[in-house]
Amino acid sequence: MGGGKGGVGKTLLCANLSAALAGSGYRVVAVDTDLEGANLHTCLGVSSPRVSLADFVAERESDVAKLALATRIPNLQLIAATYGNLSCAQPAAARRMELVAGLRRLDCDVVLLDCGAGSHAATVDYFLVGDDGLLVLHPEPTSVENSYGFLRAAYYRRMQVAMKKHEVRDRIREAMDQRNERGIRTPLDLLREIESMDPEEGRRFVATMRRFRPRIVVNEVTSSEDIKLGFAIRSVCRKFFGIDADYLGYINHDAVVHDCVLRRRLVLELHPRSDAAIYLHRIARKLMGALGPPRPPAAPAESGGEGG
Amino acid sequence: MKALAEMTHYEVLEVAPDAGPEELERAYRLARAAYAEESMALYSVFSEDDSSELRQRIELAYRVLADSVQRGAYDLSHGSAGAGSDEIDIALDLAGDDAAAPQDPFELVGEISGFDGFEEDSEQSFDGAWLRRCRLRCGVEIDQVAAVTKINPSYLRFIEEERFDRLPAAVYVRGFVGAYARCLGLDPGRVVPGYMKRLKETPKREPRKQQRRWLGRPV
Repeated sequence: MGGGKGGVGKTLLCANLSAALAGSGYRVVAVDTDLEGANLHTCLGVSSPRVSLADFVAERESDVAKLALATRIPNLQLIAATYGNLSCAQPAAARRMELVAGLRRLDCDVVLLDCGAGSHAATVDYFLVGDDGLLVLHPEPTSVENSYGFLRAAYYRRMQVAMKKHEVRDRIREAMDQRNERGIRTPLDLLREIESMDPEEGRRFVATMRRFRPRIVVNEVTSSEDIKLGFAIRSVCRKFFGIDADYLGYINHDAVVHDCVLRRRLVLELHPRSDAAIYLHRIARKLMGALGPPRPPAAPAESGGEGG
Repeated sequence: MKALAEMTHYEVLEVAPDAGPEELERAYRLARAAYAEESMALYSVFSEDDSSELRQRIELAYRVLADSVQRGAYDLSHGSAGAGSDEIDIALDLAGDDAAAPQDPFELVGEISGFDGFEEDSEQSFDGAWLRRCRLRCGVEIDQVAAVTKINPSYLRFIEEERFDRLPAAVYVRGFVGAYARCLGLDPGRVVPGYMKRLKETPKREPRKQQRRWLGRPV
């Protein structure tokens, strides 16, 4: 769950989708990666987590699996992000790689990652480690702007990692400077540039682009115009970024959500028949369709899961 | 990824080359809304020049593909190639002409029902929130329903919010809900009885007592 802007409902969506998937028999681990503004534990009703991601960052704990805490929802575990180091919350790049590798090894069916606001390299890496990425936004220009900023950062980062040649990677880094002197303004400019440097890398760029398929969720819609925004953004993704985003769904503005936050409970628990819950379930069903059925509990643990 | 000039009309409208008229219409409406001048989705990504060029290409693509003769000729001449520059010139000529925009609200409501492609509600509770969900699925605003049904938009809102105390006598509500349902392409024969049952079973709110007051004190 990413989206660039704070307060658009990433944590709300992460908590409720985790619960919906857990309720359908998936073994779920919800992970708060927002070391600077941890909230997921509060939404899941775990008020003071015993251990958290911060212990991994500070190297007090080396096994990511040991960070997982039980929640009151069966099948759903939480890795919290509380008590981050105030001087430097995010792990250094090498430690971050160990962390994402550990997350992919967790013994469960689905891992949902709740990203913080902003487009910091760490945030973007958490978003990209998943097999799927949910882009959560509000129908407001501020949120749309930050979402594109986040998508841009994720896109360039994804491409940079996929490239094999140093000079091509360096060129992508140059292009990340949005006022770069080479005049690379759009992803298409970048592709043309890379193709001229090395056709093989150009083909790799296109292949990576095809696999990069974020799923859009528009939260707090109040009109059908707001709903159409999701289609419009999907189209912009195609025409500007050249990527085939999926419009996963929207969630109606519903006053019960505020009530749930105040009471630190899930929408699906407290107001299961509310408008918001119906939309959340619809999104969960669509996601489950993409995930396939949960593995039977007896099956031996395989590596990896899905991250969002 | 292609530059706009290299895209075919199908790619511009994001439809398959075998798209039928309905699909084409829906794609055109969504594209029109997405790249409209004030569209939020363009914010911070496309420059004004880019989006204006996109708008022209969308209009041109629709004009060609919606006309079976022109579409046939286009398909013959463009195996997989993009539009030639002379077509762009035609688009520029046509840019000021807004004849393609349907203004009749009924036409609008009728044609875009179910536009969002998301699954329908499994439970049909026929309550106000369900009606609103159906309306949003259809991509229709309250005012558009009001324009078609000639029902006061406030009443439509009270129907959705189930503020029964603000609605007129049941016989009128029955008519309103029926018209609302028909407007969204729902079956009034099922929606109306379901909704009226809710109305009947909801305990009536006590009308506010009109206390007579004098300088703020009850008398």
